[in-house]
Amino acid sequence: MVGESKLNLFGVINALILCCIGLMTVYPIIYIFSISISDTASVVQGKVTLLPRGINFDAYLEVLKDKRIPRAYLNTIFYTGFGTFINLLLTAIAAYPLSRPDFFWRKYWMIGIVLTMFLNPGIIPNYLIVQGLGLTDTVWALVIPNAIWTMELIILKSFYESMSSQVRESALIDGASEYRILFNIVIPLSKPALASIGLFYFMGHWNSFFLPMIYLTDSSMYPLQVVLRDMLIFDDGAKTGLVDAAALAPQAKKNATIVLSMIPVLLMYPFAQKYFAKGIMLGSEKG
Amino acid sequence: MKRDRQLLVLFLPCLIFYIVFRYGPMFGLTIAFKDYNVFEGILGSKWVGLKHFIKFFSSNDFWLLFRNTLALGFFSLIFGFPVPILLAIMLNELRVKWMRKSIQTLTYLPAFLSVVIISSMVIDFLSPSSGLINKLMAALGFEKIYFLIMPEWFRTIYVASDIWANMGYEAIIYLAAIAGISPTLYEAARVDGCSRLRSLWYITIPSLMPTILIMFILKTGNMLRIGYEKVLLLYTPTTYEVADVFSTYVYRKGLLESNYSYAAAVGMFEALIAMIMLLSANFISRKAGGKGLW
Repeated sequence: MVGESKLNLFGVINALILCCIGLMTVYPIIYIFSISISDTASVVQGKVTLLPRGINFDAYLEVLKDKRIPRAYLNTIFYTGFGTFINLLLTAIAAYPLSRPDFFWRKYWMIGIVLTMFLNPGIIPNYLIVQGLGLTDTVWALVIPNAIWTMELIILKSFYESMSSQVRESALIDGASEYRILFNIVIPLSKPALASIGLFYFMGHWNSFFLPMIYLTDSSMYPLQVVLRDMLIFDDGAKTGLVDAAALAPQAKKNATIVLSMIPVLLMYPFAQKYFAKGIMLGSEKG
Repeated sequence: MKRDRQLLVLFLPCLIFYIVFRYGPMFGLTIAFKDYNVFEGILGSKWVGLKHFIKFFSSNDFWLLFRNTLALGFFSLIFGFPVPILLAIMLNELRVKWMRKSIQTLTYLPAFLSVVIISSMVIDFLSPSSGLINKLMAALGFEKIYFLIMPEWFRTIYVASDIWANMGYEAIIYLAAIAGISPTLYEAARVDGCSRLRSLWYITIPSLMPTILIMFILKTGNMLRIGYEKVLLLYTPTTYEVADVFSTYVYRKGLLESNYSYAAAVGMFEALIAMIMLLSANFISRKAGGKGLW
């Protein structure tokens, strides 16, 4: 198969279709970007179809002047950083005992944990618990109720299990405590696995909008996605398109906001590709 | 023993987390059988038996939600399921390595965008005034279409944007499965004079079958867990009749209108069906392929 360089009809058609698919996937993203850096006149006249026209960054300056966005941006960075840290910490320390064959009642803990993947009581009881604990309108509401994702816990547990036990055992003989073994040996050795589940957690926090929307009422605490939703989707009848005149001019500004919100995700993309794929595979195999 | 105690200490946060935030809400579901009152709390509120369930089942909303949830899930499955498989096979057949890599990278990109961004792109592209689709149609001499307020378009929009966003991501599993096929099979086929199309038909597809089957069964099990966040972002009162699903209804009735007990009853019904579907799917996949999700 490999090394066969003969040009045939099948190969050419296949390549053409795939190029179309590839273009279709990125086209909306390029278009959004082009609108955001084109001048207002070109945007309003609908001249921008692929590449930007009359390049300027006014829309970005405008966005940064709007107090809501820089603040929301900082909020998101904070929630994502703090949230991912808590996620990783709790998952890492929980997976360790569960990976030990001799851990007390291990089988029952695992059954209890896996069962929660089937039993999902829905929004209302979760909301009442969070509210009852007084977490609404605090960061904790975004961090604690989803501190551990069961799938990621299972992935990490299987990763720990697959690690060679020799290093751990020699440390045990040297009299190291379980804490020391975990923090000085197991965690440093599981960096690739932590990176891959960390990415899922990161993406989860960065892109989350539903939980902040229901748990935060103070608009100064809103993360980017909630502000984006208010601006892009519930603003000035943009959705139904009934308010045409109003929807036109701010288009560049809206798109600049979208681009700004995508930057960190796009920066992580090269790494993400590597670790995300790994995470998906682990998840699909071990589950 | 000391070691057991240390392990238990490490496990404690996890234990508390699962008890409070995973099992706690299950007990909180008792409010579906009560008239929840904020001042009396979950325990103090009065029991009312099946009142909320009866009210829900006898209302017109029930059939509407049932139909919409099923339809959205079903159409997403039927149209969305084959796409990543085809994509993976086609990518694998693409012999120019850099092209394969870059197309894979491109199709994979939308998986990293948030629902809010994807929904706002959808809205932007379909907008009657400035949307690209309508501009294109105007250029071809068609009438403007107000896509997002027309019920007949909602499902198409939902399913199509789902495919756009997820195909590259889901293709990964199939690509990996293809990578696992032994090259000797292909070499033997070529020696026997098998064309590319034939080896695709007789080797690649049959080798992928177990993966396809398991993915299909699991997807069927997850059919009801549709992306309500996107529905929430894309629907309008004029499209509720086709777009409203259990979760969005629970959100509106429960959190926006504070009908906690009624919404909890609806949510419980949804969870029950979803669980039954997932468990049976898992059971079937174990029977069929010897490998379930759990």
